[in-house]
Amino acid sequence: MTTRPSRWKKIRESLSILWQSKVAVIGLIIVLFWVFAAVLAPIVTTYDPNAEDAQARNQGPSAEHWLGTDHKGRDLWSRVAYGGQIVLVKWPITNDFWIPGGVAIWGVLIALAIGCTLGLLSGYYGGWIDEVVMRILDAMMAFPTILLYLIIIAAIGASATNVVIAIMIAGSPGIARLVRSLTLDIRTRDYIAAAETRGEPGLWMMFVEILPNARGPIIIDAMLRVGYAIFSIGTLGFLGLGLPPPNPDWGSMVQAGHQHIFTNPWGVIWPTVAISSLVVGLNLLADGLREETLRYQ
Amino acid sequence: MAKFIAQRLLSMLLTMLIVSMAVFLISELAPGDVARHILGPFATPEQVKLFRAQLGLNEPLTLRYVNWLFGSDWRASRLVGHPLVRTKDPRSGQVIWWANVDGTLTRWKMKDGKIITYRRQQDGTVEKDESPFTGWKTDPEGQEYFWGVDTANHATLWKKGVSEEKVGPASAGRAAVEQTGGVEYIPLQKGLLRGDPGVSFRTGRPVADTLFIRVRNSLLLAGIAFVVVMPLALALGVIAGLNEGKLIDRVLTIGGLTTTASPNFATGIFLILIFASWLKILPGAVVLLDDKAIFQNPTMLILPVATLTLIELGYVLRITRASMVEVMHEPYIRTAFLKGLPYPRIVLKHALRNALMAPITVIMLHVNWLMGGIVVVEVLFSFPGLGQYLLDSALFNDVLAMEAGAMVMVALAVGTQLVADIIYTFLNPRIRYT
Repeated sequence: MTTRPSRWKKIRESLSILWQSKVAVIGLIIVLFWVFAAVLAPIVTTYDPNAEDAQARNQGPSAEHWLGTDHKGRDLWSRVAYGGQIVLVKWPITNDFWIPGGVAIWGVLIALAIGCTLGLLSGYYGGWIDEVVMRILDAMMAFPTILLYLIIIAAIGASATNVVIAIMIAGSPGIARLVRSLTLDIRTRDYIAAAETRGEPGLWMMFVEILPNARGPIIIDAMLRVGYAIFSIGTLGFLGLGLPPPNPDWGSMVQAGHQHIFTNPWGVIWPTVAISSLVVGLNLLADGLREETLRYQ
Repeated sequence: MAKFIAQRLLSMLLTMLIVSMAVFLISELAPGDVARHILGPFATPEQVKLFRAQLGLNEPLTLRYVNWLFGSDWRASRLVGHPLVRTKDPRSGQVIWWANVDGTLTRWKMKDGKIITYRRQQDGTVEKDESPFTGWKTDPEGQEYFWGVDTANHATLWKKGVSEEKVGPASAGRAAVEQTGGVEYIPLQKGLLRGDPGVSFRTGRPVADTLFIRVRNSLLLAGIAFVVVMPLALALGVIAGLNEGKLIDRVLTIGGLTTTASPNFATGIFLILIFASWLKILPGAVVLLDDKAIFQNPTMLILPVATLTLIELGYVLRITRASMVEVMHEPYIRTAFLKGLPYPRIVLKHALRNALMAPITVIMLHVNWLMGGIVVVEVLFSFPGLGQYLLDSALFNDVLAMEAGAMVMVALAVGTQLVADIIYTFLNPRIRYT
């Protein structure tokens, strides 16, 4: 029990770093707004996101429909709020079954697991493992990200799970590179030499000695990656490779709204604003955190 | 220096080889039957089976990879025993393969158990010869066989007496299965490396022809955007860097962050809303009726170029600003101030060259990002470029077109990075490779 208070204190301290950066606080507010809107979507909206109302098509914002309606008379606020769920709150595996944590978050988490493992292996062991892993990763990094998404989704089809797979494949090489460079640095420290003298096995060395000491840059990188994943999910939806309709998906909403842009600009404005603000929010948060942590070092 | 360039070239080749394997594997391992997809739901299983054989899908994966990359004609040519020649119809662009039999371009087809010979005359017309066929060879088991080029661009093995399979009407769905009565097929193509990635399933025309026009259009769009954005971004970045912490710096930095972070299509959509939907002064889509229309009506290009500019502007601006701020804090700049040099001279002569080093390399390394922007902008404005072509091919499952487009895009990205590396060694005298 003696270690507990100190850990709490640590968390409080790292949170206080957050409060000192105005930029990070603004970012956090924007992100929290969308998280709450998505989690509480059934409470804060009055309409079903897929309910079509032929009497109320292409309306602007009003007291009844806060953000207006789209070309099929669906309430835009409902669709935008529920659309946030797939990105941030739930990963629908089948129609009825979903696990908590959004598609963007799971994609980055799995990419983190793979990227960290590869980066640690190639950074800690070096030699031919390093050579082979880095060769393949270089080839993966040569792909423009959008192209990688395009051919993966075209090959395996568009669904929430496949978007997670695409994010994972596109994200892990970059993470592996970062973790490898951090590992190369940390490997030269004294406590690593001490642990090696103790005869610790390789797995312990990589995941207990090295990884926790590299966590700072990895966490900030991951935060930017979640932003980029949301960005990419939006782009995929916009290109018609996102989640199948009629599910409220921000990117697909933009695509559908783009076809009716001259009769009803609201259908395209709100989902666009949603994606932009969430990504900008995450970027502000990550930027602010990075600046503050750098200042303390 | 030469050694460094050679080394980089070699590693680029290796990378491209791995990339080609990845592209091939990802698109070939896709679930679903390509033959079934092209023929449509009404094709009979026999037709699909025949078409799979004609597409060469029954061959092992490694052999298909070699066919795709290096071509299959050299392998087929050995079986046929004559050199194989490719001609192109000047009007339709359709490709026809022939066997060059003693100077005469020849093809064959089996109908009702008999081989019909087609010979191309000097004036381009084709003569049909239905006289009894004399070219049969005999294998050790006594079976008479013949390898030739059929009328649907395959190297085909015919066996005498082995009846052709009856597979119903020759046409089904979107594409036609041409029955040439063969037992084995090798689809003929010159291979990606020799400039022939095959024939598009979607259009029936060679991928290379379409791809060339699309890449040209995309390069034009990207080139114009590049010329517009670079001076602008560098100038604004330098201004922001010189006024560190002042209002103009804040405005430019936050503006830059916002345009970089908001998705590419969002930027484009807001521009369309303002200039096409609201002010009605610019066209919101690019409509090209032929290949040259792009040069005749340049106003159509304003919004796509503006979108690309905004996408790139923020990033380069932020890098330039950071670099400028760093340089202005260097001791040698302080020395220049203390010497009493005039401010413009310090900035232009002392700071600028060092400050622009970082942005120029970053710009070149940023080409992957720019390509993402180009795909989105092309789709947004229906601009007929490489990105739109890739998306259409992906949506239609036009595997050969998608693979070729993907390879071209990766080659462009990797090539630019190589150029960036080489330029950097020239720009920065401190870097010398041994």
